[in-house]
Amino acid sequence: MFSSIDDVIERFAENSYIASRRIATVIYLASSLQKPILVEGPAGVGKTDLAKVLAASLGEEMIRLQCYEGLDEGKALYEWEYAKQLLYTQILKDKIGEVLTGTKGLAQAVDRIASEDEVFFSERFVLPRPLMKAITSEKQVVLLIDEIDKADAEFEAFLLELLSDFQVTVPEIGTFKAKQIPLVILTSNNAREMSDALKRRCLHLYIDFPTREQELAIIRLKAPEAAEKLADEVVSVVQSLRKLDLKKTPGISETLDWVKALTLLNVQSLDNALVDETLDTIVKYEGDVRKAQEELKEYLRKVRTRRGGADAAGSGSGGGTDKDLLN
Amino acid sequence: MEDKLVEFANLLRQNGVRVSLAETLDAVAAAEVSGLGDRDSFRSALRATMIKRASELPVFEQLFDVYFSGLGEIIKGASKEVQDALSMSDQEFQQFLDDVDQLLKEHADELSELAKQLLRNENGQLEKMMREAARAVRMQGIQRTIEENYFARALARALGLDKIEQEIKELREQLEKLDLGSAFRAKMEEYLDRRLKMLEDIIRKYVRQEREKRDLKSREEARMNQLADKSFYYLSEEEMAKMREAITRLAQRLKNIIAVRRKRMKKGRFDIKRTLRKNIAYGGVPFKLKFDQRKKEKPQILVMCDVSDSVRNASRFMLQFVYSLQDLYSRVRSFVFVADIGEVTENFRTNDIKDALDVALKGDIINVYAHSDFGRSFRNFVSDHIGAVNKRTTVIILGDARNNYNLPHDWCLREIRQRARRIIWLNPESRNTWGFGDSEMERYQVHCDLVEECRNLNQLYRVIDQLVPR
Repeated sequence: MFSSIDDVIERFAENSYIASRRIATVIYLASSLQKPILVEGPAGVGKTDLAKVLAASLGEEMIRLQCYEGLDEGKALYEWEYAKQLLYTQILKDKIGEVLTGTKGLAQAVDRIASEDEVFFSERFVLPRPLMKAITSEKQVVLLIDEIDKADAEFEAFLLELLSDFQVTVPEIGTFKAKQIPLVILTSNNAREMSDALKRRCLHLYIDFPTREQELAIIRLKAPEAAEKLADEVVSVVQSLRKLDLKKTPGISETLDWVKALTLLNVQSLDNALVDETLDTIVKYEGDVRKAQEELKEYLRKVRTRRGGADAAGSGSGGGTDKDLLN
Repeated sequence: MEDKLVEFANLLRQNGVRVSLAETLDAVAAAEVSGLGDRDSFRSALRATMIKRASELPVFEQLFDVYFSGLGEIIKGASKEVQDALSMSDQEFQQFLDDVDQLLKEHADELSELAKQLLRNENGQLEKMMREAARAVRMQGIQRTIEENYFARALARALGLDKIEQEIKELREQLEKLDLGSAFRAKMEEYLDRRLKMLEDIIRKYVRQEREKRDLKSREEARMNQLADKSFYYLSEEEMAKMREAITRLAQRLKNIIAVRRKRMKKGRFDIKRTLRKNIAYGGVPFKLKFDQRKKEKPQILVMCDVSDSVRNASRFMLQFVYSLQDLYSRVRSFVFVADIGEVTENFRTNDIKDALDVALKGDIINVYAHSDFGRSFRNFVSDHIGAVNKRTTVIILGDARNNYNLPHDWCLREIRQRARRIIWLNPESRNTWGFGDSEMERYQVHCDLVEECRNLNQLYRVIDQLVPR
C-alpha cells in the first residue's frame, strides 16, 4: 500500500516511470478505495507500463489478461479439466465399482453416484485462468486486463461481478470471494466506447501525450545514453508531428525507439542523412512517413536559419561539423 | 463538503455530463482520501471518479475552475485592485492594513461583522459570508442574463450593503474628529471608498459567474449552431473527433448484429456430406465428425448522399458522416446524387476531407446544380451499380426526398431492399414536413427498415441508439 500521493510518485520514479501528480492521485485513490482503474488514451503513452510499474513498486505479482475478439470466460476465468476428470474416473474404476456394490437396479446406482459426484466437480478439477488466479491468490496481486475494448461487449458485462464485488461464481461449486482484493487496471485504446455500467465501477484515468518537458524527462530516464541535444531535437519534432493529422500518432514508446535508434547509429543531431531512413521507427504508414519527412525538413530549415544567426555572431556550433562531413 | 460535491455533480449534469449517484458517492470517498489541502489532487480525485469519457474532460476542467475557486479568485482579484489603486507595494499594504486594524480596534469596535472583515482584508471570511448570503437568496436557481440584476440586488440586501454604507459614512465622520496625519487620513478615506466599491464589484461579478456556470450549455449550443452555418473549411478538430466517435458506435452496432447471429450458430450443425467424405479413409467408420463452419461476416455499408441545393445546410454534416464512415472502415462504398448518381469511394479514400468534399461538390462527378431527382438517381443506381448491393449490405440513404415532382420510381428502392440486408434513410428535414409539397418521403418510407430525422450529431446518436440487433 502507498502512504500518500507523493509516496506513489517516489516509488514509481524508483521503477523509472515518471508519474504526473494526476496519475499518482488516481493510483493512490485506487489502492486506498480498492477500486479498479480504467485507463484510456492513445496507443503508446504507457498505459500497460503503468500496471507493470505498479506491481513492481508494490513488490507484487502481476497477472495479465490480454483481451481479444472472441475471448470467453473459459479463457479468462476457469475451465474444467476434462482430461484430468476422465483420467481419474478411469483410475478409480475399481473404487467406483466398490461404491456401487449392493445396489439394486440402475436407479439406485445413479443415486449412489450422484451423492458422490461433488468429488469430480471440486476445485481440484478447476483449471484457473488469469481472473480466477487473481481472485484466489493468497497475496495481493495486480491484475491487468489489457485492451478491454478488443473484447466483446458480452465479456465486459461478465466482468462486472468481478469488478464490483471482487468475486466470481462457478455454478457447480459456488462463489469464490477474493482473499486479497487485487488492484485491477483495465486499459482501453478507445476502439469502442465502454458501457456505462463498467465505467461506473471504475476510476477513470485519461493519459494523454506528455508535454515537452515530461517527454524530455522520460527520455533522460529511459535512454540516458542519448545526447542531450539530440533528445531535445527529437522531442521537438515528435511534438510537432503529433499536431499533424497522422494515421497513427507517435507515442512515447516510438519517441524512445527513435532516440535509441539514432544513438545506436551514432547520430548527434537531426541534421543527418541517416535520420530520414530511421523515420519509420516513429511513423508506421507510408503516407505518414511522407508527412513526417516534410515536417522534419521544415524543422531543420527553421533551426538552420536560427543557427545561421548564431554562427554569424561567432559561435561555431557542434552541429555544423556533421553538415560538413555530409557535404 | 458533501453538499458542495452534490451541487457540483448537479452542475455537471446540467451541462450534459452523466454523473450517477454511485459516482458522486465515490467522489465523496475519494475527496476524503485525497484531502482538500492540495488543489491538484482534489481535482484529480474528482476527475477520476466523476468523469468517465475523455470528451467530457474539457467541460469538467472549465466547471471545476469556475465552481471551486470562483468566488475566492474574484475577491482576491478585487483586493489586489484596491492595493493597486492605492499604489502600495505588498509590504506597504500589509503595514497599512495593520494600522487600519489598530484604528478599528480603538475607535470602531461596534462595526458589523461584514464591515470588519471587509476593512481588515479578511478574504476567506468574506468569501464565507458571501456564500451564506448567496444560499439565503437561492442563487443556485439563476439561469438567465436578465436575472442578474435581480440577484445582485437580493444578494446586496442579504449582505446588508446599505447598512455598511451607513457604517462607513459614520466611520469617516469619526475619523475626521481624530488627530491623524494628513497623508494617512487621505489614504484612509480613499481606502474606505475603494473598499465599498469593491464589495459592489464582487457582488456583481459573483452573480455573473454563478449565471455562467449554469449557462455553459447554452453557450456551447450557440457555438454549435454558429458552426453549422459555416462552410466545410471551418470543421473543427473536435467536431471531426465527435463524428468519428459516433461512426465508430454506429459500426459497432452493425457489427454487434453480426456477432449475435454468429453466437447463435456457434456450434454449427452436423454436416453429413463432409463427415462421410472425410471418413472414407477409415472405411466409412465415422472417426471424425464434421460440423458446419462458422462464417465470418463483416458488415458492408453503402451510402448514398444527396448533395443538391435543397439540403445545403445539412450536406456538410452528411458528407462528413460519409467521409468518416469511409475513413474508418474499408468496406464502405459511397455515392453522391442530385439528378444523377456517381461513386465517390475512391475520391474519399485518397483525399483528405477538405479536398474530398471539394471534388465531390465541384461537379466533376455529377452535375450538382441540377434539380434533384431521386427517382432518376435511384433508377440509374439500379441499372449501373446494383451489383454493389448484396445480402450483407446495409444501405444508408441521406436525403430530404424532395423530388421536384419528378417520377419517384419507388420500385427501384424496393429492388434495392430485396437485395440488401436493410435500408436506413436519414432525412435532414423535420418529420412534420415529410410528405408535404414535393416530398416523396411517404412513398419511399415503406421500403426502408428505419427512417429517421437526422441533421446533426445529437440526432445521429439517437438514431444509432435505436439500431437494435435483429
